[in-house]
Amino acid sequence: MVTILKADKLRVEYRNREMRQATKIALAGLDLEVHAGEVFGFLGPNGAGKTTTMNVLLGFVQPTSGAASLFGIDVRQPIARRRIGYLPELTYYYKFLTAEELLRFYAKIFGLPRSEADRRIDDLLKLVELEHARKRPIKSYSKGMQQRVGLAQALINNPDLLILDEPTSGLDPLGRMKVREIIQRLKNEGKTVFFSSHELGEVETVCDRVAIIHQGELKVVGRVDEIKKTHHSNLEQAFLEIIGYQPQTAS
Amino acid sequence: MRNVFAVAGIVIKELYRRKDFYVLFILTVLICLVMASVNIFNDKQIVRYLKELCLLLIWVSSLVIAITTTARQIPAEREQRTLLPLLAKPLTRTQLIFGKFLGCWIACGLVLVCFYFAFSVLAASRDHAWPLLNYFQAAFLHWIMLGVVVAMALLGSLVFAAPSSNSTICFVVIATILTVGRYLDAVAVAQPEPFRSIIYTVYFAIPHLEIPFELRNLIVHDWPLIGWNFVALDALYLLAYAAAFLVAACLIFRRKPLN
Amino acid sequence: MNSPRTFSLLLLALLIFCFGVAAGLQPRFRLLENQRHQSNNFFSLLLGDSRRMFANSFYVKADEYYHSGFYPTIFDNNGAFKTAHMAEDTGAVNSKNHGEETGFMGAPRDWLDAFGRHFIPNRHTHLDEGGAAGDLSGSDQVREILPWLKLSAELDPQNVQNYTVTAYWLRQRMHKTAEANQVLLEGLRENPGSCDILFELGRLYAESNHDTNRAENVWIAAAKNWQPIEGDSDAKYANDFIYEKITTHLGEAELNAGHWPQAIQWFQAAQKVSNTPNALQELIDGVQAKMAAQTNAPAAPTR
Repeated sequence: MVTILKADKLRVEYRNREMRQATKIALAGLDLEVHAGEVFGFLGPNGAGKTTTMNVLLGFVQPTSGAASLFGIDVRQPIARRRIGYLPELTYYYKFLTAEELLRFYAKIFGLPRSEADRRIDDLLKLVELEHARKRPIKSYSKGMQQRVGLAQALINNPDLLILDEPTSGLDPLGRMKVREIIQRLKNEGKTVFFSSHELGEVETVCDRVAIIHQGELKVVGRVDEIKKTHHSNLEQAFLEIIGYQPQTAS
Repeated sequence: MRNVFAVAGIVIKELYRRKDFYVLFILTVLICLVMASVNIFNDKQIVRYLKELCLLLIWVSSLVIAITTTARQIPAEREQRTLLPLLAKPLTRTQLIFGKFLGCWIACGLVLVCFYFAFSVLAASRDHAWPLLNYFQAAFLHWIMLGVVVAMALLGSLVFAAPSSNSTICFVVIATILTVGRYLDAVAVAQPEPFRSIIYTVYFAIPHLEIPFELRNLIVHDWPLIGWNFVALDALYLLAYAAAFLVAACLIFRRKPLN
Repeated sequence: MNSPRTFSLLLLALLIFCFGVAAGLQPRFRLLENQRHQSNNFFSLLLGDSRRMFANSFYVKADEYYHSGFYPTIFDNNGAFKTAHMAEDTGAVNSKNHGEETGFMGAPRDWLDAFGRHFIPNRHTHLDEGGAAGDLSGSDQVREILPWLKLSAELDPQNVQNYTVTAYWLRQRMHKTAEANQVLLEGLRENPGSCDILFELGRLYAESNHDTNRAENVWIAAAKNWQPIEGDSDAKYANDFIYEKITTHLGEAELNAGHWPQAIQWFQAAQKVSNTPNALQELIDGVQAKMAAQTNAPAAPTR
């Protein structure tokens, strides 16, 4: 099994010198591996360290210690990002550009030849159903349309690894279904998908393996059905049990 | 370089889709046309006051465009969260800085072409002369000077918290250099130590942006061409400062957290 | 406070208060109105007394234009530019200039200063001599100073040099005698009886319109309006200078008309205020000699 994504004792600490606050440990020695061709869910409550992990993988944040690599290349090298696509949680793009111009810009950064870029732009706009709005500036798009533009730009370079941060956030049920279909399609094509989500129902449906992280520590990693079997419950109950949630009993 | 040009292209697109340039251009032309319509002793050939006014407006407008466009580049990317999907691509932070610089600088160049063309038409309508090489010298050095301004504003956008504070500080610094930069050594000579040394240090440290600014007088009063060797030397001098600001910006941006 | 009646009463009270304040201040404003300056110009009203500061800077700007931009700043030695050269060259202004006018910048202070001087006007020229190009055929380029003089006159109508300098160059280089006449008459409206303006008006009649009689009448009016200034000041020197000019021009006019005794009277009046009384004395002696020669010449035979 080829390891596409690897985090090795990843530690990230934040110290706010101005506020004189204690050091916050965002990640405490995270070890993680994602294999080629799998759909990997990265779960955790708010503030668990999911976005920090993604920021390290994408080179936005330097780890305090430890290492991370994509396709065997250290994440600090820009070339590590040549074969990935990234969809951030909050999708904002240049408002003065049209969808077509945005995709062409990103295609240029990836060094796609003009003809290939044109072909991919046409295919992607058809895939995300934005053909009718390709010449309109993004500032006129609805939230759902912006999310779809985000998905299109994440796929512009036909990536082997897709990193999605809450891809269905803010989408209506139809939109969420379309995202699940796209993830499934990518999996069928042999792509690797690494995504974080709070929609455990979705995760159960599409993911091969999941990792649950809480307070910067990896709590569990494994196949969805194995986790459910171990905790004798559905994924949501298992999740709550793993993060140590104690329901308050009614007085 | 491909990535740098790609980022630069986006900046240029942004400039011509925003209203700033068109508003300033139309305002400049309108003011000049109004001033040109003033009857001064029934003489239609008086032109120098118009040239001076037009060039002054061009300088003010170009500085406004350069500083405001550049000051908001990186902060707007952060605020609108377009920075993260951009840097998730195989684009280094250094390439981003150079791309922003190049985009803003080329955009300023295009703006100057429009302004100087309008200026030459206005001057020729009275002068009936087209000293194109003189205009080229002035416009070229003006553009090089704006390169320093853009680099300065880009560095400021990484140092100061808000685009407004960055813009204000840039305007104040540049206006001070343009008006008194040439005379700081004369001021220094008249001061006792240690002020003399401090002012001399400032005098030699600052980029002397007033050199292209004072070139306006040669254009207004129809002086002959400056030697091309001096133009080249001044361009190199200013580009060195622009490079220094850019290097500083790259070093700061590499260490800056993105969120 | 929420009641509409309370709100209405408060509004009424506010109105009464405002009316009372306005009525109380009205007499004071009447007094101020009478002290207002004469100009109805919008910018004059807007700027108040600071308009004179702007007017002066525009006047200096005109001289800067006269020099095609080669002009001292406050950091340079401007001893040779105390009196504007554009005014000095009209021959009707007492010059306070001294020192070197071409080297006011001095030697370059450092390599930066030396380098920067290649990018600024660096030669002393006058627009009436062709300016930077040195082309005498373009000596009507002096027109370029006119907008600044016009603006300066708008803001400070009491500065008579705005009118005299403008009128001189209008008629001398640009041959716009009618416009020059209009400028001087406008100056007289703002400064009734001004000797400088009357003198320049006389020169216009004499040199441009070739109407010597009218010129003499105007100069005589100027001489009658002239009042001496006591003490030792720049104003006294300027005042004496213009009187000397008026009286010497009258003397020359009378001389050309053959009215030698009247000419001598004018030259003697000029001597009283002149810095060069000896030169005038020589002139007087010359005229007296001519008179004496004419008296001694044998009378023409009569029939």
